Amino acid sequence: MNFLKRIIDVRGWKRASKTAAIVIMAAVALLAALSWVNVSEEEMLQSASEEMQEIIRQEEASSRKYVTVTYNSFGFIKYLSFSTSGAKAVKETYIAFAGQVYPADTGFLKFIGQMVNYTYRMLGSGQNILHGVKLTILLTTLSMVIGSILSIFLALGKISKNKFISKISSAYVFFFRGTPLLIQLFVIYFSVPVIFGFSWRGLFAIGDTEAVYKGAFLAALIAFSLNAAAYCAEIVRAAIQSIDKGQGEAAKALGMTYGQTMRHIIIPQSIRRMIPPLCNEFVMMIKDVSLVFAISLMDITTISKTIMTSEGNYLVFFPALVIYLIITAIFTFLFGKIEKRLSVYE
Amino acid sequence: MSENKAKKGITGKQILIIVIALVVIAGAIWGILALTGKKEEVSGMLMQEGVLNVGMEIGYPPFEEFAEDGTTPIGYDVDFAKALGEKMGLEINFVNTAWDGIFLGIGENYDVVISAVTITEERKETMLFSDPYINNYQAVVVAADYDGEITGFLDLDGMVIAVQKETTSDILMSDYKDTATIDITISANEKIATCFTQLKNGEVDAVVVDSTVAVVYAASNPDAYKVAFEDESEPEQFGIAIGLTNTALQTAINEAIAKLTVEGFFTENTAFWFGAE
Amino acid sequence: MSDFEYILRTEKLCKSFGHLEVLTDVDLGVKMGEVICIIGPSGAGKSTYLRSLNQLETITSGKIYIKDELFLHREHNRTIHRIEPDRQKAMLLEMGMVFQSFNLFPHKTVLENVMIAQVLVRKKSSDAARRLAGEIINMVGLSDKLDAYPSKLSGGQQQRVAIARALAMEPELMLFDEPTSALDPELVGEVLAVMKKLASQGITMLVVTHEMGFAREAADRVIFMDQGRIAQQGTPQDIFQNPEGERLQQFLQSIL
Repeated sequence: MNFLKRIIDVRGWKRASKTAAIVIMAAVALLAALSWVNVSEEEMLQSASEEMQEIIRQEEASSRKYVTVTYNSFGFIKYLSFSTSGAKAVKETYIAFAGQVYPADTGFLKFIGQMVNYTYRMLGSGQNILHGVKLTILLTTLSMVIGSILSIFLALGKISKNKFISKISSAYVFFFRGTPLLIQLFVIYFSVPVIFGFSWRGLFAIGDTEAVYKGAFLAALIAFSLNAAAYCAEIVRAAIQSIDKGQGEAAKALGMTYGQTMRHIIIPQSIRRMIPPLCNEFVMMIKDVSLVFAISLMDITTISKTIMTSEGNYLVFFPALVIYLIITAIFTFLFGKIEKRLSVYE
Repeated sequence: MSENKAKKGITGKQILIIVIALVVIAGAIWGILALTGKKEEVSGMLMQEGVLNVGMEIGYPPFEEFAEDGTTPIGYDVDFAKALGEKMGLEINFVNTAWDGIFLGIGENYDVVISAVTITEERKETMLFSDPYINNYQAVVVAADYDGEITGFLDLDGMVIAVQKETTSDILMSDYKDTATIDITISANEKIATCFTQLKNGEVDAVVVDSTVAVVYAASNPDAYKVAFEDESEPEQFGIAIGLTNTALQTAINEAIAKLTVEGFFTENTAFWFGAE
Repeated sequence: MSDFEYILRTEKLCKSFGHLEVLTDVDLGVKMGEVICIIGPSGAGKSTYLRSLNQLETITSGKIYIKDELFLHREHNRTIHRIEPDRQKAMLLEMGMVFQSFNLFPHKTVLENVMIAQVLVRKKSSDAARRLAGEIINMVGLSDKLDAYPSKLSGGQQQRVAIARALAMEPELMLFDEPTSALDPELVGEVLAVMKKLASQGITMLVVTHEMGFAREAADRVIFMDQGRIAQQGTPQDIFQNPEGERLQQFLQSIL
């Protein structure tokens, strides 16, 4: 609530925030205006050349489908291509900007067209949540949330006076930090179903064509969460142990139980100290997600490699870098905000 | 005090015991399940009524790749699978999967693998194959400006060779190297495109790859690559990989392939994807 | 009045860290309403004794009685007898503790610091807890700081909050572990004033301190500890006016 009030209270904003807000709003307005005047998909489709229209007519009569029409729209800029497959491939490319359609088969416009197409594909636009940027963010966020919750128990287990619990927790952390994430992913995706006699795909409806990918996502989520838990457990343990011993003593002297002490006194204080290393872990995880290529999922890195394979175009890696940097910047910013909010009492 | 001890964590010996115990337990469970034959026999020959689920590593042009829209699979195998589906009266569902572990997914994630799979004796021990649907040779691709002559694999002596990991090309080259027939350095890559870019950038001297792929790369980039040698003495054949017990499906697929052959589908498909021949 | 003789009593209490014996055969009884000051050179085991009472340290051997009831009996690092867990908790709540380094919860405001244990441990409604906390904070003179975080307070103010926090649990006995040692000299007075106020209200207090002025003025009994033992005890008059024994004289000379 306070947060909302602060947002509405524009006069209380810092100057830099005001400038940033104005720039962003201006940019959004400009893009909205450009989208408003831009041509529609139907109009773009009509720009196909005579030859291409002839090819499309022929294809309709043929049993083989060999023309792919690709339409990528970001509103203010649109990309359309007709491409045929096979040994004698033909391709026509157009981009639409500010209400005009331009052929983009050569030079700078070709480059722009490629960037639009690559970015569109890496964002996973027009596809479900298990693709591209959406997959990367979903998998990273979910695994970090699950992982950090698990890690609190692991960390408490590690510092527990009960030797059995402490050893089990230490062994868990040792195992998941001591083996490569890719192998853990393989074991969970390939070996675990064999040992326990189930299939990841079988956990979802058989008629669901996305079931394979959902199964792979579930396996990846489990592997990444278990792995994140081990790494975060060390962070959480260090943060808990960095809290002054006097805090625990004061709580005990007031009659609080161990659980109450942890929940109300120690963990709330240690969370702030966990944020910077957790943010690091998060950023590492964003990049580690690219390992899902090994189990059939398409994240940003996998999509860029796929594009490179089909088109042999190394420019594809530049939009990938920019996308990664933007994601990392957003999350670093969010973590910074959280840290700041948690340190009000200092 | 006990707290101090806990901080020291576990000793190496204890870790070793835990690891060994875990391995033994896992091994025992695995063994019991394997012996008792936990996998129930597939009642029908397909996992899903009326649908043939096809496992495919969509990233091996011209056999399989994504079209520019990023979602439509295209390629020789794609068209073949569609024709096969039509003949068998089945809907085709393509399941994109990584090449590593692709055969582990048969019967789990898809019914068959159609992904430029070479039929080998070794593979026949763990899976069934359909009748071959295309002939293929191992080919050597070099940079377009290479002026040496290559008449056989022995001429590769002293070169750095790029291959796609776990493919027949990889197996063949590793054999040559391991038996010390020729002295080569192998760069094994995840994707075939990486091999060709390495060649273009001068990282490697040659790429050893399926002839069908070699021809297409050389044809589309004549400035960069040329096919130096095709080993026609040892033809390889691509087949559809099927689950080891699924003979019913094997029979059905072979019948369909026979019909497609009679109708001239393969001649036409080859012409469409590889030009002449 | 009360149906017990001593609110707290220890018998042959011993504590050692490894081979180092810190407390040896400490016998002490605290009566209701008594204010006892424990003085002595550093390393004498004063703080350890206090911390043993509310179980922040585990004693090596000896008996602890609370309200004449045997609370804990240990011999050679083994527990011979321990009162059943639920009564144990209730009995420990009879003691409130104030630490040398305050140990306020930095992420809680003054009011929350004083409320939290009432709600969590005493299971009071937050309204009731807030009411009592308000009264006690007023008593230590910090009503204007209710919503401040500890980091915004001076050391003296923090220690007064810590006293309020302990008082809010309504203990029968307050333990003070060198409450002014971490304070700048000019801040000591305000804390001692609060403690004197408590003493005058008849609250039972066991105070480890280096403030001889306070001991002289407020204590009913002064205990001189040396090398883990009670070397001497008596009224402030006995100890300060006519100190007997070489060690006590030396100590008083060094400190005054």
